[in-house]
Amino acid sequence: MPVNLGLAQASSDFLIAALLIYSLAVLAFAGDYAFGRPRRAVKAVAHAAEPAAALATVGANTAAVAGAAPGTVAGGPVPPAAPAAPGTGTGPGAGGTGLPARPTGALRATWEAGPWVRAAVALSVIGMLAHVAAVTTRGFAVHRAPWGNMYEFVTALTCVAAIFFCYIVVRYRAWALGVFVMGAVVIALGLAETVIYTPAGPLVPALQSYWLSIHVTAMTLSTGIFFVAAVLGIMYLVAEWYRKRVAAGKAEPGNGLLERIPSAAQLDKLTYRTVIFGFPIWTFGVIAGAIWADQAWGRYWGWDPVETWAFITWVIYAAYLHARATAGWRGARAHYIQLLGFASLAFNILVVQVFITGMHSYAGVG
Amino acid sequence: MFKAKRRTVAVVAAVAVVLLAGALAVTLTTGSGAQAGVSYLNGNPAQRVYAAGDRPVAPDFTGTSLTGAPIKLASYQGKIVVLNFWGSWCPPCRAEAPTLAVLSEQYAAKGVDFIGDDVADTSASALAFTRSVGISYPSVNDPGYLIVQDFSQVVPVNDTPTTIVIDRTGHIAGMVLGTVSYATMVTLLKDAAVTQ
Amino acid sequence: MTDVRSSRSTSAPQQETADGTGEATGPFGPNEMDVTESGGGGTSVPPDTSAGWLRWGWRQLTSMRTALILLFLLALGAIPGSILPQQGTDPASVQQYYASHPSLAPWLNRLGLFNVFATPWFAAIYLLLFASLIGCVVPRTFRLVGAARTPPPRAPRNLKRLPHSTTYDSALPPAAAAESAAALLGAHRFRLRRPAADDSGHWVSAEKGYVREVGNLLFHLSLVGILISIALGGLFGYKADKLLVQGTSFGDTVSALDEFHPGRLATASDLAPFRMTLDNFSASYVTSGQNEGEPSSFKASVTYSDTPGGPARQGVIEVNHPLSVDSVKVYLIGHGYAPVFKVTGPGGKVAYEQATPFIPASTGTLLSDGVVKAPNANLGFMGVFVPTAIDNGGTLESIFPAADNPVVSLDAYSGNLGMNSGVSQSVYQLDSTGMTKIGGSPHVMLPGQTWTLPGGKGSITFVGVQQWVSLAITYDPGQVPALVCGILALCGLLLSFFVRRRRVFVRAVPAASGAGSVVTIGGLTRTDASGGFEEEFAELAFEIASAGTSVTASPGDAAPGAASPGAAETAAVAAGDDKPEPNNQSETGA
Repeated sequence: MPVNLGLAQASSDFLIAALLIYSLAVLAFAGDYAFGRPRRAVKAVAHAAEPAAALATVGANTAAVAGAAPGTVAGGPVPPAAPAAPGTGTGPGAGGTGLPARPTGALRATWEAGPWVRAAVALSVIGMLAHVAAVTTRGFAVHRAPWGNMYEFVTALTCVAAIFFCYIVVRYRAWALGVFVMGAVVIALGLAETVIYTPAGPLVPALQSYWLSIHVTAMTLSTGIFFVAAVLGIMYLVAEWYRKRVAAGKAEPGNGLLERIPSAAQLDKLTYRTVIFGFPIWTFGVIAGAIWADQAWGRYWGWDPVETWAFITWVIYAAYLHARATAGWRGARAHYIQLLGFASLAFNILVVQVFITGMHSYAGVG
Repeated sequence: MFKAKRRTVAVVAAVAVVLLAGALAVTLTTGSGAQAGVSYLNGNPAQRVYAAGDRPVAPDFTGTSLTGAPIKLASYQGKIVVLNFWGSWCPPCRAEAPTLAVLSEQYAAKGVDFIGDDVADTSASALAFTRSVGISYPSVNDPGYLIVQDFSQVVPVNDTPTTIVIDRTGHIAGMVLGTVSYATMVTLLKDAAVTQ
Repeated sequence: MTDVRSSRSTSAPQQETADGTGEATGPFGPNEMDVTESGGGGTSVPPDTSAGWLRWGWRQLTSMRTALILLFLLALGAIPGSILPQQGTDPASVQQYYASHPSLAPWLNRLGLFNVFATPWFAAIYLLLFASLIGCVVPRTFRLVGAARTPPPRAPRNLKRLPHSTTYDSALPPAAAAESAAALLGAHRFRLRRPAADDSGHWVSAEKGYVREVGNLLFHLSLVGILISIALGGLFGYKADKLLVQGTSFGDTVSALDEFHPGRLATASDLAPFRMTLDNFSASYVTSGQNEGEPSSFKASVTYSDTPGGPARQGVIEVNHPLSVDSVKVYLIGHGYAPVFKVTGPGGKVAYEQATPFIPASTGTLLSDGVVKAPNANLGFMGVFVPTAIDNGGTLESIFPAADNPVVSLDAYSGNLGMNSGVSQSVYQLDSTGMTKIGGSPHVMLPGQTWTLPGGKGSITFVGVQQWVSLAITYDPGQVPALVCGILALCGLLLSFFVRRRRVFVRAVPAASGAGSVVTIGGLTRTDASGGFEEEFAELAFEIASAGTSVTASPGDAAPGAASPGAAETAAVAAGDDKPEPNNQSETGA
């Protein structure tokens, strides 16, 4: 079936629209940083209570993972009486004032976060919808799943990253992460459009199998999720570096930008939860790839370069998960490992598939 | 209680190791090992002799000769049969062909018949060859190795050429994996004449 | 203080701290965030007996740190296997590497870098890793079984020290409040523990989420299963190749196969005794547009029988669609052309007449090379087959892979082909030493044409064209077990990630006012796994409290009876007035 050029053009148009809207969303997230509601109510108490922050953040409130800012043990993040924060004694409801309440709805919390956040989240969602439209129309244009070459793969995985981010930004109130995650999406998408753009076309017969939909979809999904985790990991390292500087007295606690991002502990948790979301999907993708390889090439594992690097990526993320449970390897070290895992993933996509000959070489680039 | 657990672990581990070792030993020794009743001529595993009570039954086959005549193995009951798997494209087969030609002449009167199984070949090339070396015994046309496959179920036929000696009752008495030599064939034919 | 721990035997601390994540929080929270890794790992005191050394070594091997290091080594070790050409998959590239890096290549070879995944050092890495894994997982399985049989610990006295806790006033007396909480938690399928008859307190301990550890163990054991499955395949499996010309058949026996690669413990007698005939092969190509000449489909129609005497069946083999025959799979991996030639000798006698497979030199256009050997006429030919031929300024080229305009171009040789000496030759190669070239420049023939050779040496006729397919026959007994283990591993992974092991405690003490009780609910998770325990705890607390207050409303309670969300908010607003930033939603976002 020939390529539907009208839909292909529509796909390009939607993608440009998504790029523009995402850029506006990034601006809005930045605006929230600059002009949004102040977040650190009790800064002095916060830093004095820093050692207790671990306790507090373990689950001080019902609302959000990224919820309690460092040290805001005092200020119940969710105004309706949250279950008491432990230990420090300043928690509301510690004396048993009334029933524990249901947690606040996520959407409501988003609305109440202020106009900048509302605009940013709305723009992110609209941009994400445009992005989804771009990917879908591309699929209809070429009559197949729209991840058959490098360009399509990158647009699809950034779409996954955007969807995933839209989910966590509302569910976990992670507005502070918006600038960075959406910024990374914009950069990746921009590079894809300019550097590796491939016009819509049919697939090589070796790829004409329904396993394409299953295997490459899983890899696209998990790559998108690991992409978000990598951004969060970098943010963690920055937050941790800043926290150490403050603790050593080298930096003023009142530094605007770095004050606004979540604490290192929260980022650590959020990164972990993102990785454990993506890791099973990656595992499934590798298994599906093995099944497809058996159908197409006669063996389910042959140490093809792309297979090998998918394995290496898997092992590194497994190392990250083990590191989180090993003394001396938590914290920054674990995040280095996680970032190394994403680096190996990126290497697999950008270098191995394109330059190293193997049976996977149909990235469609060049 | 903890000591008990450690002991249980040790016991379980030991049992597992023993089972594993046993399974491994069993697998390694069965299958490709020497079967009972086979002996090698001059210690050469390519030259096999089957003792009188342990001879496998030769699978029957029906086919067409290179000249179009029908051939059936069962019709050779009561004669000793030398079955030679060959092809005109196969240099070792071509090299041993004169030996087989001579043997077939010499033993014709002694109740020994020679049959060829021509594999992966066409009648044209095969006949051109047999005529050139003076082979007058028939060969069955078997381009797909189907007769070879039947025989490989009972004796190891790994390559061409392979020669099998079948005794008067239709049992495999001996075989040569690879090219035959005159002396080997004489010995095998003598053994084949020994019946139960 | 220590009533929780003292209630059980010495195995309790083991259980509390060594659950593998190392982050075990006992009922008293982070004070017990003792980072004892599984398997002990203590390295402080060097052992002095050989048994002590062994034990120390074993603890080191099964520690998390060692697992981490081995994982890194595994990833690192796999890298050269993907960057350098590997002997197993692409021996030609290895040869090329030797040619272009003559001094470096032998050193890389000594390190085994051209066959990484079969080297002893790579095997050592993953075997050590699996030993570490098994040594960690097996004891934990025993521990899990033990934990599953012991009830949850007693409720601590001061529940407010737990990471999650809340308190509310209940109208029920302490015993009834505790009972209703127990009933509710039981309904949520928690495992409960109630105070003993002689215990004066009113409390409930509830625990849930053992499945998490089950998932963890299942995942790791499944990895062992995968390793065993791969070993099974490598030992007992085999791979074979067969080139089959259209219209011909073959029996699956080792002498018929072009290549046979058995596993270590597999032999030729393990071949499945099927027979197969290639009835027809059709290849279609894109005829126009930007993808002209690219293959669009390959289809081989075969008739086969599982056993020599068995019933004949029809089958189709395509790319991405292998055929299952008996226990093996037959794949279509390539195809080409086999022009049919008839060669006559000096006397005009036919010396050769068959379809001769030519091997494609270019996969795009299927321009193919081949030889014809007619030893009985002392003639040999070497040349090319062009499927769709055009004359491009004197050179013959193929512009399309289908046989639309087939042409052969041959060189002829006369003399001794060397086939009577007994030394094996490749059927695709002609050794022209000892032969003389006759006929001058390559002779081009169309189908049906005959080339009479000079000097009365004979003739060759290009009769027509057949096609051949290349089939791969594989048997892998470990394939299905590996898949099953892979799926189990995935299930185990999901369970271990998304199931929380959590404990909820409820304690009721008589209220100061005399009527009713003050109920404290506390909860914690063993690990900070996936999120959501905060919500779950809040929901549970809400439900317990609502169930507890549904009986009577007492004055002074901010939220009586029905405990609707509205009532909760009323209480919330009342409580919220105390806060410095009442509407500071940004707390949650920051």
